[in-house]
Amino acid sequence: MIQDYLDGISRELDFDRSLARCVRQEVEDHLWEAVAADPAGNLLEAQRRAVANFGDARVIAAQFAVLSLARQSRRAGVAAVLVVAGIFIAMKARVAWYAATQWAISDDLRAVGGLVGMVDRYAFLLAAIVGLAGWLYIRSREIPAALHPAYRRQLHRFFVLCCTAAAALAVSVVSDAVLTALNLRGTELSAASVVPIISMTIEIACVGMLVFHIYGIAQRAASAAALMKT
Amino acid sequence: MLKGHLDMIVLAALSAAGSAHGYAVIEEIRRRSGGAFDLPEGTIYPALHRLEQAGLLKSNWMTADSGRRRRVYTLTKTGSRALAERRVVWKQFSDAIGGLLGGNRPRENPA
Repeated sequence: MIQDYLDGISRELDFDRSLARCVRQEVEDHLWEAVAADPAGNLLEAQRRAVANFGDARVIAAQFAVLSLARQSRRAGVAAVLVVAGIFIAMKARVAWYAATQWAISDDLRAVGGLVGMVDRYAFLLAAIVGLAGWLYIRSREIPAALHPAYRRQLHRFFVLCCTAAAALAVSVVSDAVLTALNLRGTELSAASVVPIISMTIEIACVGMLVFHIYGIAQRAASAAALMKT
Repeated sequence: MLKGHLDMIVLAALSAAGSAHGYAVIEEIRRRSGGAFDLPEGTIYPALHRLEQAGLLKSNWMTADSGRRRRVYTLTKTGSRALAERRVVWKQFSDAIGGLLGGNRPRENPA
């Protein structure tokens, strides 16, 4: 009976495997201790009572789902700041490399380069401001016991901020890719080209990481909402 | 009403018990409340996790005598401070309600 209950709670928390594992171990310890402390000698009856006293697995899982969602949101906030910092470092490293190797955009493409550079700067600035604002916003919110409407609104605001930061970063990275292509145009692939290519790979990976975190929020929000419905 | 004070109750039970696992926290709450707070036992665990995430508790895993893995919670300094603040607020609230229901004037707040 206890195993069935544990399987049930693990199933409900399947969207967050590490939390499910941790909760399962904690609940298992609790239930067997309750069985051991039960005054009635009947093991099956003691198990039934322990499970009944513990409460509905779905209700408990719903409370954990809110925690999981809050944790994922905070992680995404931190990720947004780290991603902005990572891309900034990659950009600066690439620009320093261009200066060291004296690579420059050819004269006929300088106007295009200037325009793309401006888009890049403003998109990155927007991403940095919005990402930082999102992180400060979500870390200052208290985690409630349930997914009540006020907290839903807070999470929605944070989600919008994260999506805006990710979109702005994507524009910035695409602009960087265009600038890198313009810089590398006409040069032969050599060991010197490795630095711009690696820095671009880092930037793309950073944006991918942020998108992955945002997807995690959406996934957990859906799971928490589904658990709350019942 | 109990739901709104669950965090304070858990913090107070842990403060009294020292380090404790979930089952011991529930037993402590039941014992200290004279059985008045007989809440669904499972609701304690999300509260413990939430308080840990807020930095009010810390936890570590150990192996119990039974051989099972056990998570033991301890109040942090921040948790002790938060509990002290909640005690003051609760005392003021309790005095005010006592004054209202009993007809006695609550003591003036020195602040």
